[in-house]
Amino acid sequence: MALLEAEQVVMRFGGVVALDNASVDIDIGEVTGLIGPNGAGKTTLFNVVTGLLPPTSGRVKFDGVDITRATVAKRSQMGIARTFQKLEAFNTLSAFDNVRVAVEKNHRAKWKHRRVGDVAHEMLGKVGLDEVADVTVGTLPTGSARLVELARALACRPRVLLLDEPSSGLNEDETSSIGELLLGLVADEDNELAVLLVEHDMSFVMGVCARIHVLDFGKIIAVGTPIEVQGDSAVRAAYLGSDEFRGAYVELDE
Amino acid sequence: MIFGVRHSVVVATLLATLGAVVLAVLTWKGSQVTSESFLVTTYIGLFLGALWAMYATGLVVVYTTTGVFNFAQGAIGVFSAFLYWELHVNRGWHSILALFVVVCLFAPALGVTLDAVIMRRLRTASLVVQLMVTVAIMVLLLSVVGDIWEADTPRRVPYLFGINNGIDLGPSQLPWHRLIVFVVAIAIAVSMRFLLRRTRIGTAMRAVVDNRELAALNGARPNVVSSTSWALGSMLGALGGILIAPELGLDPATLNNVVIIAFAAAAFGALRNLPMAVIGAMLIGLLRAHTGAWLDFGPDFRFAHLAVAPLILLFVVVALPQARLEVGRLAHHLRRHERYTKWWEGLIGCGVVILLAVAFSGGWLDFGIWDPGAWGSRELNSANEAMALALIGLSLVPLIGWAGQINFAPLAFAGFGAFVYLKFAGDSGNGYWILLVGLLCAPLGALVALPAARLRGLYLALMTMAFAQAMSLIFFPHPWVMPIIGTGRQFPHIELFGVTFDDRRGFFLLMVCVFAIFVYGLVLLRRSRYGRRWMAINDSQAAAATLGVPVVWTKVVVYAVSASMAGIAGVFWATVSGNVDSVQGFDLLIGFNIVLLVAAAGVSIPMAGIFLIFIPLFKGFGLRLEDAGNVDFLVTLLDIMTTYGPGLMVLGMVFNPRGAIFEMGRGFSPILPWRRDARAEIAAENAQKREPEIGELGIDRPFTPEEVIAIDRRLGILDEVVPKEGYGTARS
Amino acid sequence: MSVETETPLLELVGIRAGYGTIDVLHGVDLRVMPGQVYALLGPNGAGKTTTLGVASGQIQPHAGSVLLDGHEVNGVSPDRLARAGVCLIPEGRGIFPNLTVAENLRMSTYAGVSYKQVQERAFAQFPRLEERRNQMAGTLSGGEQQMLAMSRALSTDPAILMLDELSMGLAPIIVEELYEQVSSLAEAGLSILIVEQFAQAVLGVANEAAIMLHGRIQRTGSPEEIAEELTAAYLGMT
Repeated sequence: MALLEAEQVVMRFGGVVALDNASVDIDIGEVTGLIGPNGAGKTTLFNVVTGLLPPTSGRVKFDGVDITRATVAKRSQMGIARTFQKLEAFNTLSAFDNVRVAVEKNHRAKWKHRRVGDVAHEMLGKVGLDEVADVTVGTLPTGSARLVELARALACRPRVLLLDEPSSGLNEDETSSIGELLLGLVADEDNELAVLLVEHDMSFVMGVCARIHVLDFGKIIAVGTPIEVQGDSAVRAAYLGSDEFRGAYVELDE
Repeated sequence: MIFGVRHSVVVATLLATLGAVVLAVLTWKGSQVTSESFLVTTYIGLFLGALWAMYATGLVVVYTTTGVFNFAQGAIGVFSAFLYWELHVNRGWHSILALFVVVCLFAPALGVTLDAVIMRRLRTASLVVQLMVTVAIMVLLLSVVGDIWEADTPRRVPYLFGINNGIDLGPSQLPWHRLIVFVVAIAIAVSMRFLLRRTRIGTAMRAVVDNRELAALNGARPNVVSSTSWALGSMLGALGGILIAPELGLDPATLNNVVIIAFAAAAFGALRNLPMAVIGAMLIGLLRAHTGAWLDFGPDFRFAHLAVAPLILLFVVVALPQARLEVGRLAHHLRRHERYTKWWEGLIGCGVVILLAVAFSGGWLDFGIWDPGAWGSRELNSANEAMALALIGLSLVPLIGWAGQINFAPLAFAGFGAFVYLKFAGDSGNGYWILLVGLLCAPLGALVALPAARLRGLYLALMTMAFAQAMSLIFFPHPWVMPIIGTGRQFPHIELFGVTFDDRRGFFLLMVCVFAIFVYGLVLLRRSRYGRRWMAINDSQAAAATLGVPVVWTKVVVYAVSASMAGIAGVFWATVSGNVDSVQGFDLLIGFNIVLLVAAAGVSIPMAGIFLIFIPLFKGFGLRLEDAGNVDFLVTLLDIMTTYGPGLMVLGMVFNPRGAIFEMGRGFSPILPWRRDARAEIAAENAQKREPEIGELGIDRPFTPEEVIAIDRRLGILDEVVPKEGYGTARS
Repeated sequence: MSVETETPLLELVGIRAGYGTIDVLHGVDLRVMPGQVYALLGPNGAGKTTTLGVASGQIQPHAGSVLLDGHEVNGVSPDRLARAGVCLIPEGRGIFPNLTVAENLRMSTYAGVSYKQVQERAFAQFPRLEERRNQMAGTLSGGEQQMLAMSRALSTDPAILMLDELSMGLAPIIVEELYEQVSSLAEAGLSILIVEQFAQAVLGVANEAAIMLHGRIQRTGSPEEIAEELTAAYLGMT
């Protein structure tokens, strides 16, 4: 059974349908990708899953329990953590304190036998930010602030980690070390972790994801392994144009 | 949803109606309702409504066309009314000419200046800064009015065409002035509606608020458009002020308070809908007239009928839908290393404050300007007053400074604290009851926070303001609450550790000690997990929630803490001002001033409280200098500093939103021997400034390596692999 | 070639630009000839939108120059450029959501065409807008919003049209309808600079195309040539 399932989620804003019966499921031990052209509804889906937006219809299930009506904080306590595409770090706090807020909130439930400061330092270390622990996050470059968000999410000891474009603002080396970190986290069976990754850097997505969901104007148009998705005609149509034009690319299929 | 209307609206309306009916039955005067008296009352109500509709129209127009809710709208009206009086009555200009000069020349000029100097820069500022700045403009305008037109002469603005000329309406006469006001109010509302909906400039004004960049892409000049909006807004304010002045008399505070009724009316239209705002104003006018005519609340609630507007504002705001979790704003002016004050630094700071207070008040310091000696009763009175206000101000540090929750009602909490103390400690003045005050004020804070926690910043500001106004009109004047008013009795002297603090200097030093304890408590709180959590919800509520922080509960806690601090401070404030008039002492305007002072000092820093002590010191100096004679210039200077200083400094927040103490701290901290970090930061900044100018392009001397880097940076090629060494040296 | 002697309608020379201290464009050169339809393609974050920002005067470049019809226009405000005929339809619905359809159209009149004419032309092209003329633009469907945004281009006779991600989040049938309008504008001789991810529709209209990656134009060529390289650039199959 999938750890997290979004079933038939519909989200309307005024006359705009951002999500149209979108269903996504993610499993423990894998990084699942969620890709799609700009404005396809990826961030909206994240907001529905984390509870920031109540869906027009549809359900969200976590570990078999319906959490569609649970509050944001409740979902966090159950083990859903996320990062944001538009940065939402606590800008006036230091990197260390950003993580500390998360550790303190989850201390009793998840980090009982460890000291708050130790956990926070460990999380910053995981994303490679030990050296800027004392720096105010608002003065850090965007890429580093993104990593602070990641460390903060990890400090919640999540079972589902939703990452919204973690690589933007990072260079290639940093991106690949984030990829390794993610693969290491999901491979560790003690974590029982499932990751959902929204990303535009395709080589990153294809490299770390076991399965990929493709979203296109609110609908899931394909689900499969990276190879399957890259070869899928609907996906190509979404990214490049509709079917008639596909002839031009046939030779690339080999 | 019931018939497309939100539940909260339905529930609030039902509750309000039920409450009104019960109230009406309980307080029915028993006078006979005839069709004639009913009509006259209705006519008065509609006329009042028209007056307020004018103000509300101005507010709505400014808000829809600039996105800034202008607390100074009423003050613009006050200033204009005084200017009109000066020109028309004092200098004898014809009323039409004076009206034209004020409304069509002065007001637009004021609006354009405000936009060009201040408002344009506020667009990207945080809501706290926006609100503080418009409140500061309000306070400044009122101070200027107070300084130019001294309050000692009674002034009247005459009715246009006199009060005795008009149409005969059977039972009574309708003067031309009132008819004109009614017609003008409706005409303004209709023409504004037309301007905003049917003309290009009006459309552009609203478009600029929607999306400034897109408006420019369409070819509209955003700066010209927003200046027009401010010019228009201030013209409406001026016209309103001049037309209302004959009815209310030319008193700055009274005239300015009209704006609260206008807030309530504007809230009816969700601050944007002009017809709804006018209807709201008419409704409030009718309610006011009819409650005044038919209901008698008795002497205990003698101001209750004035509370119609704040109560309506409270109801409307509570009925508003829950705000979505907002995403954070960009924080400006951050330091690379935000530093917690160390616990021992806090102790040192508090110790220094107490020593200074002892030294100053005891006259141990000799400045050579005047006869050294202990402060007299006058100095101590003003110092005590300011010290008590500073204590109340400290309660805003966690609430506004850290959690970003605006609160204009610190004095309402303070007043409640004084009330609790009076009830429990009675005449004995046993100081230990102060602890109970702290405990009992916390739930009141939480009660206010519950509706507040679900609201957005601006409505929160309006709600706290309405709460403060309602408290000072209904709760505090009740003789059971403040039984000492008018009886000549004193608020009991505080007695602690077997000492009765009945002399002024002892009381001053006691307050300084409480102040130090508050500051130190805040230092510790800021270092704790609660302090961090409050900062976090201020930065991003959405992110805090996804980390498991319960946002509403967190806000409730910070309100409770703030209310309990304010309550304790209120006991001291009541002791200081209690022998004068307690109700005046808990007035909203003073509350605004406290909020401004704290904001100017730097509302996020516990040590900012120390700044508030400068005000009593200045006041003390001023009085002392006056006694010494021959230093008129200095006295005036100190007077100006205490009157205009806070307002002007808040205007400075446009450029420096973190307040004065923050900047002073940056200059001061490197002097402290243990602050190596501060010295390093200054050094780093200076190094950055010294980056060489490109200048003569290496003609008179070869480039140094730093210059090469600077040139590359200027040309934007620094990201290329530049051989940093050897590049310049090879040339030289 | 004869094209070389002609003055480009829009020319960007060595543009470096970005937000704050971070550069997004690292030296962009681009020329749009009169009557040309130029498609600028590339994945997200490549700097396409920033390029349009520079060309429309919204973003001041740190280095390089922007030339309109041979005149340097660095530092000219976007509203002045707009009144002079530069028409940018920005990414993500270039409409005012709290204004009605009619009021949105009224905002198009700054470029010199009368309100009556703007309405006539817009409603002739998109009759659906006339049905909804008094509706708030924010309550329109995505396709209708984009039609409303496009109607500014169709009704104001711009000198150059820039379109940013016209197809974003729209159903193919609506994209097709919008691009029909674009190609009829192109046939009428309007110079157009199109930024798109959704490559197929554009390449059918364009007569020059370029791929942008990491703030630089990697390759320019005919639409056919560019099409061959797109899959690799988008889906990470290098």
